[in-house]
Amino acid sequence: MTDAVHPETPQIARGVSTATLIKRDLWANAVVIVLLIAGMQAWSGFVPNYIMPAPLETAAAVGKVLTRDIGDILITLLRLFYAVGFALVAGCLIGAAMAMIRPLQPYLKSIIVINTGIPALSWMLFAIFWFKNAEMRIFFILAMILIPFYALNIYDGIRALSTDLVEMVETFRPTRLHVLRFLILPHIVPYVLMTTKSIIGYAARMTVFAELLSSTIGMGAKMGLAQNNFHMDQVIAWTVLLVILNLSLQGLVAGAERLLLRWRPEVVVR
Amino acid sequence: MSAPEINNHVIALERASKFFAGNPAVEELSFIVGRGEIVALVGRTGAGKSTALHMIMGVMPPDSGTVTVEGLDPYRQFRQLRGKLSVSFQTDRLLPWRTAVENVELGLQIGGVSAVERRKRALQWLENVKIFGEENAIKYPHQLSGGMRQRVSLARALAVDPALVLLDESFSQLDHVTSSTLRADFATLVRRLGKTCVLITHRIDDALEMADRILVLAAPARLMLEVTVTPALRADAKWRERQHHDIAAAMAVGMTPEPVTSAAAS
Ligand SMILES: Nc1ncnc2c1ncn2[C@@H]1O[C@H](COP(=O)(O)OP(=O)(O)OP(=O)(O)O)[C@@H](O)[C@H]1O
Ligand SMILES: [Mg+2]
Repeated sequence: MTDAVHPETPQIARGVSTATLIKRDLWANAVVIVLLIAGMQAWSGFVPNYIMPAPLETAAAVGKVLTRDIGDILITLLRLFYAVGFALVAGCLIGAAMAMIRPLQPYLKSIIVINTGIPALSWMLFAIFWFKNAEMRIFFILAMILIPFYALNIYDGIRALSTDLVEMVETFRPTRLHVLRFLILPHIVPYVLMTTKSIIGYAARMTVFAELLSSTIGMGAKMGLAQNNFHMDQVIAWTVLLVILNLSLQGLVAGAERLLLRWRPEVVVR
Repeated sequence: MSAPEINNHVIALERASKFFAGNPAVEELSFIVGRGEIVALVGRTGAGKSTALHMIMGVMPPDSGTVTVEGLDPYRQFRQLRGKLSVSFQTDRLLPWRTAVENVELGLQIGGVSAVERRKRALQWLENVKIFGEENAIKYPHQLSGGMRQRVSLARALAVDPALVLLDESFSQLDHVTSSTLRADFATLVRRLGKTCVLITHRIDDALEMADRILVLAAPARLMLEVTVTPALRADAKWRERQHHDIAAAMAVGMTPEPVTSAAAS
């Protein structure tokens, strides 16, 4: 896989300053949000509130959920971070093994490719059969879904390492550990970040989904509960919170990227 | 190998050969490089210069014959040569995620020099290659010009204080003015430091300018001609012209006659 081409990049090409672009995006977001709220308001006038509650009711539900269930939000985040962290490390190790231990490569690759073909739903059902413990289930589901992304991207990343740089480092007579520390690890950082950026939203959605099926705490579980009790306002409140959570996570990874990839020249496509 | 011998020469090739898919790239090549000597390997493209250098670097063993560096087998005793030899390449090969000064530190870091000490030495080396000021030291490679990058890469090679410096056409990618100042700086630096140096080039003028001795190779890396250069001879325009012609002719052995005249005329 080559470097992620950001969909925003070509816009810079039109010679508009970044500040103007941000202002324009903020404006567009505000317009869309206002329209959504107006739509909700209009619709809620015609249907009972277990179909579509009014925006104000929903806002109240957000407040209620935030004060009552803040623990569930933290638990979901914790589950997400654990699983992503584990998948990152395990995926990097598998990817490195694929790139560096030749005889293993076709077998590992075959396992990963078959894995990517297994639907997330199957992992969720397997997890329910195989594990009693809810944490174990959620962790297993997420790990199985996420590891292949890291493994494949890191594998490609290590293969893209320039032989010129390897040869250069070798002239200083390094140990294997030196090569790993000074060359391979820094080289794969962009690949790890790129992968994290592209999976984090998906991972958050999968965490909630897994919670819905296999746990009694966490955002997904609470959403299921709200649905069972016909609390549509709370279902929407959770949805709003999930959107905010997803966007914050994307922002977090983008921030980490800016910090860790300072050394990269900025690519401006004209 | 006995001690005096080690002191007498830094590199010894004895009938070293290297084959790729049955074709010789280097054939029965023998030469010795003495301590403090600057030796230029010249030859046309494909003559086997880089292959000879790779064997000296120890990244590949000879198929037959022997290669010795500082009395060691550079391939089998790979780690033992740490800090004794370094290489500057045709392209700068800087690590893009490291600043200029961090790039210079690489060899010192591998050699286990403490953080404070290696930063001090690296900054000193940047000054030695005429990159001045903190603001340049903390720039990333993409923020430096091609000439500066090449200087950083040179500083990186010299910072480990190697007895032997190998240079594979390090200056050929730069524009003429930059490369000639860099070349002059390099030759002075290496002489002043008393380093032994093997440099590869296909520019005869470069070789005449920098080297104490010129080894002319023709494919597959066989020694065709050996020219010893002294400062007095280097200053003699007539002598240089004649050597230029002879070297060009030796480089062209085994080729069609046209390139001889065109190379000699350039
Ligand atoms: N790793 C390799 N595998 C196969 N053949 C090789 C390899 N390295 C070099 N050769 C061949 O060996 C011969 C000598 O190559 P070498 O790179 O040593 O030449 P050179 O003198 O450095 O040329 P240049 O001036 O273009 O750098 C060439 O015919 C080349 O194709
Ligand atoms: Mg070469």
